[in-house]
Amino acid sequence: MNNEFNKGRRKFIKSAFTVASALAIAKVAPTWAIPQGRKFKDQVLTKDEIDLTIAKSPLLVGNKVGTPITINGQMPGPLIRLKEGQRAKLNVTNRLSEDTSIHWHGIILPENMDGVPGVSFEGIKPWRTYKYRYDVEQNGTYWYHSHSGLQEQLGHLGPLIIDAKDGDIGADREHTIILSDWTFEDPNEVFRNLKVAEGYYNYQKRTIFETFEDVRQHGLEKTWKQREMWGQMRMSPRDIADVTGSTYTYLMNGRDSAMNWSALFKPGEKVRLRIINGSAMSYFDVRIPGLEMTVVAADGQPVKPVSIDEFRIGVAETYDVIVQPKHNKAYTIFAESFDRSGYVRGTLTPEIGLEAEVPELRAVPERGMAAMGMGAMAMSGNKEEKGMMNMSGTDGHMNHEMMHKKELPVENIKIEHSEGGHGAAAAMIAMNPTSRLHEPGIGLDNVDHRVLVYSDLIGAQEWPDKREPERQIELHLTGNMERYMWSFDGKNYTEVDGPVQFRHGERLRLVMVNDTMMDHPIHLHGMWMELENGQYPRPRKHTISLKPSEKVSLLISADAPGSWAFHCHLLYHMKAGMFRVVNVA
Amino acid sequence: MYAKSLLFTTALLPAVAMAGHAEEGWPEPVKEYYTGQVLFDRLELTRTDEEENVAVWDMMAWYGGDYHRLVFKSEGENIQDDGEPTDLESAELLYGYLMSPFWSFQAGVGTRGSLSSDASMENYAVVSFMGLAPYWFEMDNSLMVNEEGDVQFVSETEYEWQLTQTSYLQPRIELTANLTDSDKYERQSGLSNLRVGLRYRHEISREFAPYIGVYWNGALGNTADEMKRMGEDTTETGVVLGTRVWF
Repeated sequence: MNNEFNKGRRKFIKSAFTVASALAIAKVAPTWAIPQGRKFKDQVLTKDEIDLTIAKSPLLVGNKVGTPITINGQMPGPLIRLKEGQRAKLNVTNRLSEDTSIHWHGIILPENMDGVPGVSFEGIKPWRTYKYRYDVEQNGTYWYHSHSGLQEQLGHLGPLIIDAKDGDIGADREHTIILSDWTFEDPNEVFRNLKVAEGYYNYQKRTIFETFEDVRQHGLEKTWKQREMWGQMRMSPRDIADVTGSTYTYLMNGRDSAMNWSALFKPGEKVRLRIINGSAMSYFDVRIPGLEMTVVAADGQPVKPVSIDEFRIGVAETYDVIVQPKHNKAYTIFAESFDRSGYVRGTLTPEIGLEAEVPELRAVPERGMAAMGMGAMAMSGNKEEKGMMNMSGTDGHMNHEMMHKKELPVENIKIEHSEGGHGAAAAMIAMNPTSRLHEPGIGLDNVDHRVLVYSDLIGAQEWPDKREPERQIELHLTGNMERYMWSFDGKNYTEVDGPVQFRHGERLRLVMVNDTMMDHPIHLHGMWMELENGQYPRPRKHTISLKPSEKVSLLISADAPGSWAFHCHLLYHMKAGMFRVVNVA
Repeated sequence: MYAKSLLFTTALLPAVAMAGHAEEGWPEPVKEYYTGQVLFDRLELTRTDEEENVAVWDMMAWYGGDYHRLVFKSEGENIQDDGEPTDLESAELLYGYLMSPFWSFQAGVGTRGSLSSDASMENYAVVSFMGLAPYWFEMDNSLMVNEEGDVQFVSETEYEWQLTQTSYLQPRIELTANLTDSDKYERQSGLSNLRVGLRYRHEISREFAPYIGVYWNGALGNTADEMKRMGEDTTETGVVLGTRVWF
């Protein structure tokens, strides 16, 4: 690593991955006493050929020793820094007692380098080395992680940053932040708990006393009306995250809130923060009280600058924001789990050792009419075995707002549910799914500051393929919480006969409908998805998060021959079978 | 060169037919998942108004996937210090199939009777409809037919009021009806028994939750008449102390 100031052009500290990225800090704060320097290696790997060793090793996580999967002895793994145009040479050695793999999330590369066991290669056997080789033809903020079993939950992940050819980072300094969720439980045990005991990790359910309070405040009739739908559907409006802060310790670059990962700036500098959600299951709401953030990239791809105060980052997404702290004081980087069951904070500071006020966790949000963004949500006849969300908006305000919005292609696409409403695998179907790209999401609709929404994102440049789509593929996200079943079109991976076929060279429109009550981050390997959010150029994403009862459309150029994974990036949803192989031929 | 690419294409053909499993010997990216659970919903000591102490169990164990499961259910009791053997109210082995998001259909065989060496057991076939009704009523409805052709229906319903994140107030109703008279097992047709209970449960962990509760048990219809004729009490109340536990 190097820490040179390039004063001629834009000066920047390359690879200030963490405050502990050693020498720079020693210069700034020679008396620095925070013990994090000794425990964290915080390697930044920039060599032409990079060796990564995967092993299990005891490591302090928060205030307890856990046994994460480490990469070169650290968890999360080292920051890998490549340059656009180079050939990546990454040698991954497995020192685990089971197979492993690394998937380079968001990178366009040949099929056999994508790192998904059973789809792109065999996996890496114990004590074997797999040599990943590919040409790096993009730049931006990405990450890497295991695609074997539940290894990702054990910390098998790390940041992957690709410098642009000209080396310009659009700021004076940059820091990379990878968020993750850690549990001291065995991930297999977590999965089993979810399978056998619905709501196992939810300690935020509605109690009878809250119902009494609602009756006192709103009257019996209104309270009953609000409860009725949930009761008929046998779902909980507080069912937001499957795995919560009751077992998770949320980490920022491997540190918990007490360890307070800190990053330096000089007042007046423009600081680029590369934020990656490397969690297994946790969405975060990120803000830096007192600082405006300007979003300049989403999923590694540049977007036209959007100034905001807070953004939600779905699992596996990345956002680059630029902040310009003017004062000589510390700022808290606050990442709050979207079900409000926990948070992790770090500090942006002019000198080590300072910290700023840490915000309180906000109230537990509730899904419901307001959270769904729609005025009226009525149940269909209760003779139906299955709950159906009827979201036809009768709320004047909503319709008014929609009339002023540009109509999205997806709004004119008629959605078809498979016969029988996807069977027993789907506890609900969205009767009248709508586009929700302009909504910030549950718990953020009533905040008094600007929150990023997908419809804000405008690609910074046009993408090469400007064709209209020739063909449309529709996929439904389906689930049944009671048995923790997650699938596409009511079928989990083990139940489908073949891959989803893309014709090589075709331009496709992928329409997805979320027939569940949960948010799902859907990730396509190998190819970009251009989000049809009414903006042009469209933003392109590797991972797109769908809200409950939402429909979205994405344009894909099927230009990558081979087999590619397509799945929900919530790790336990993928494990439950919310997974497909896309075959481009 | 041509031959090679032809070979390659041919080799790919069977792979394409599968869900995505591209080459022989590669692992499946997502595997089928099977698991199981043993749940003692009630494992309790009952003190009746007759001043008897009764040990009671009501359990279920299952193993399988999302749709198909092998299910074992059992209920029974032992009145302490009465010198009588344990009364096995049911032991059933069933195949369960998830037919709709919240309901599974189960079918199998069961046995019941006094667990002593000289007693003859009553064997029966059983079908159950078990699941979650709207408004979160947890139900298990079973229809049993024994070797004599006697038909009995048992319906159990539980509900939970969430008091705190780890404590619950749980009403429970169990209704038994005989569709036929049975001379051999001394059953009278019609609604025969109603048991209503209420318990307060506190979770030490999700897996281990002790509870205290009360219940009322009453004979109904022809069954009650018959009991009155025999000079027996038709109702019973009691308090229970127990644990809901699973692993």
